[in-house]
Amino acid sequence: MIHVDHLTKRFGRHAAVEEISFDVGSGEVVGFLGPNGAGKTTTLRMLTGYLPPSAGAASVAGFDIFRQSLQARRRIGYLPESVPLYRDMRVREYLTFRARIKGLTGSVLNRRIEEVIDQCGLQAVRRKMIKTLSKGFRQRTGLADALVQDPELLILDEPTNGLDPNQIRAIRHLIKRLGEKHTILISTHILSEVEMLCDKIIIIDAGRIKAADTPSNLVSQMRAAGRITLELKGPADDAARALDGLDQVRKVSHDLSHDGWEHFSVLVESGADERARIAQLCRDRDWPLRSIYRHEATLEDVFVELTRKD
Amino acid sequence: MRTLLTLYRKEIRAFFLSPFGWVVLAFVAIMQGISLSTSMKALGDAPIRESLVYITFHTPNFWFYFLFIFPLITMRLFAEEERTGTLETLLTAPVRTWQLVSSKFLAAFSFYLLLWIPALVHFQLFGTLTDIAAPFTLGSLLGAAVIIALMGFFFTAVGCLASAMTSSQIIAGILTIGLLVIHYFLGYVPVIWGESFRASGIFHYLSCQEHLQFFTKGLIDSRPIVYYSTMAIFTLFLTHLVVDFRRWKQ
Repeated sequence: MIHVDHLTKRFGRHAAVEEISFDVGSGEVVGFLGPNGAGKTTTLRMLTGYLPPSAGAASVAGFDIFRQSLQARRRIGYLPESVPLYRDMRVREYLTFRARIKGLTGSVLNRRIEEVIDQCGLQAVRRKMIKTLSKGFRQRTGLADALVQDPELLILDEPTNGLDPNQIRAIRHLIKRLGEKHTILISTHILSEVEMLCDKIIIIDAGRIKAADTPSNLVSQMRAAGRITLELKGPADDAARALDGLDQVRKVSHDLSHDGWEHFSVLVESGADERARIAQLCRDRDWPLRSIYRHEATLEDVFVELTRKD
Repeated sequence: MRTLLTLYRKEIRAFFLSPFGWVVLAFVAIMQGISLSTSMKALGDAPIRESLVYITFHTPNFWFYFLFIFPLITMRLFAEEERTGTLETLLTAPVRTWQLVSSKFLAAFSFYLLLWIPALVHFQLFGTLTDIAAPFTLGSLLGAAVIIALMGFFFTAVGCLASAMTSSQIIAGILTIGLLVIHYFLGYVPVIWGESFRASGIFHYLSCQEHLQFFTKGLIDSRPIVYYSTMAIFTLFLTHLVVDFRRWKQ
C-alpha cells in the first residue's frame, strides 16, 4: 500500500528525514514511533503530498506521491497532528464540505456522513459549532473527516495527543476497529498504544529508521542486552570479579549491600541466559544465593535503547 | 468544477456567517451614502456641468474607503488558513492549487461586487426622493460600473497575493493597502513632475484616477480594460506560485 524508497527531506542544511525506506502492506496497522522531532510528521506530510521530498520517492497504492499526487491523495485519509478545523462551521456542515471536496455526491455523500458520524460517536454534537467542542470531540471530528471518503489508507498523526484517559481509550478502540478493514499508518510516541494497536512498528530517530519489525520480534531481539539481578551472601569484590569472569557477561555492577546480602545486576550478551551458570558459580564458591531474576525487555526498553542519545 | 464550486460556496459563506462581512458591508454603504449626500449638496449649491454619478465618484472620501475595501475582504483568505493549519487539510485533500486560489479570489470578488448594490440603490433613490429625474445618463452609470468592476478585479487579486505571502492577517492587510496606495500615487507622478519626461505616458496609462474620470463620464476605453484584466490574471498566477512554493520551501 505504501512504498517508500530513500525518502529524504532537508530544510536548508538540516536533514529532517534522511534516506528512509519502508513498506506497508495492504491491511496492515503500522506504528510509526519516535521521540519528538524525529521526523515523523515530516515523513507523513511527504506521504500526504503536503511537502515534496528533497530526494527519493514514495508511492501510495501504486501512485507516486509527487507526480500523481491527486490520485494518491484520493486514497488517503489524513488526520494532521494539530487537527485543524474550521471553527465557525458546524460538525455536520464541516463533514459535508470535506466529503464534497473529496468528490462524494448525492446519496453516497449523505450515507457516508451518517456512517462516520455514527462510527466516531458524533451524534450528540452534529449540529454544534466546532469552536464549542471539547478536544476529544474535535479529534473525533478530524478522524471522521479522514474516514469520510472511505479511504484505503489512513494516516493518523498522534491521534490521541492531549486527550484524557477515557477519550484515549475510545479513540484507540475506534482505531482498532478501523484496522480490521483499512491500512493504517499511525504516528505516536506512546508505546502502550503501539503495542495494543499495531502489527508492525517502525522506529525512527533523527531522521533515520532504527528498527522495523513486529512488536514481539523487536522485544525478543532486545533480550539482547538482557539484565539479571541477583542477591548473594559473600565477599562483594570477589563475587563481582567471578561474575565478570563468566563468558557471556558484559558488565557487572554492585548495587548495594543490605543485611549482609549483596545485590548485583549483570548485563549479558544477546539472547544469552546465564542464570544457570551464575547459580552454579555460587554453589561452587559456597555463596548462598537468595534470588536471581531475569528482566524481560519491554517495548519501552527497545525504544529507549534505540533512540537514547548517550 | 464541482470542487471549485464547493470551495467557492464555503468562502462566500464565510463572509456572511460571521459579523465581519456585515461590518464591511455597513461601512461601505455608509461611505457611499456620505458620497451621495455630499454630491447632492454640491449640486444644490452651484450649477455643475458633470453628472451625479461623476460627482459621487469624485467626492474626497471616495478613494479613502474604496482602497480600504480590499485589505478588509482579502487579508483573511489565505493567511487565516495558514495560521490555523487548515491549509494543510485542504492541500492534502484532492484539491488542485488553482482551484483553491480561484475559489478564494472569486468569492472575494463576488463579495466586492455585492458591496456596490447600495450605491445602485442610492442612485435610484435620488429620483424617488426628489421628484426630479436623476441627473445622469445610463452611459455614465454603466461606465462607472465597468471601471469599479475592473479595478476591483485587479485590486482583489493584489489582496489575494498579499494574503498568500504571510500567515498574519495584519501583515497581509498592511501589504495590500500599501501596494494599492503606491499604485494610486503612481497616477499622480505626471501631476507632480509634469509631462516633460518621456516615461510620463506610462503613468497616465496606470493612473486609476484618470480611468475613473473617463469611465464615469461614460467614455469606455479599451486600454484600462486590458490593463486591469491582464494585471489581475498575472497577480493571480503569482498567488498560485506562492501557495505552491510554500509547500516547496518550508
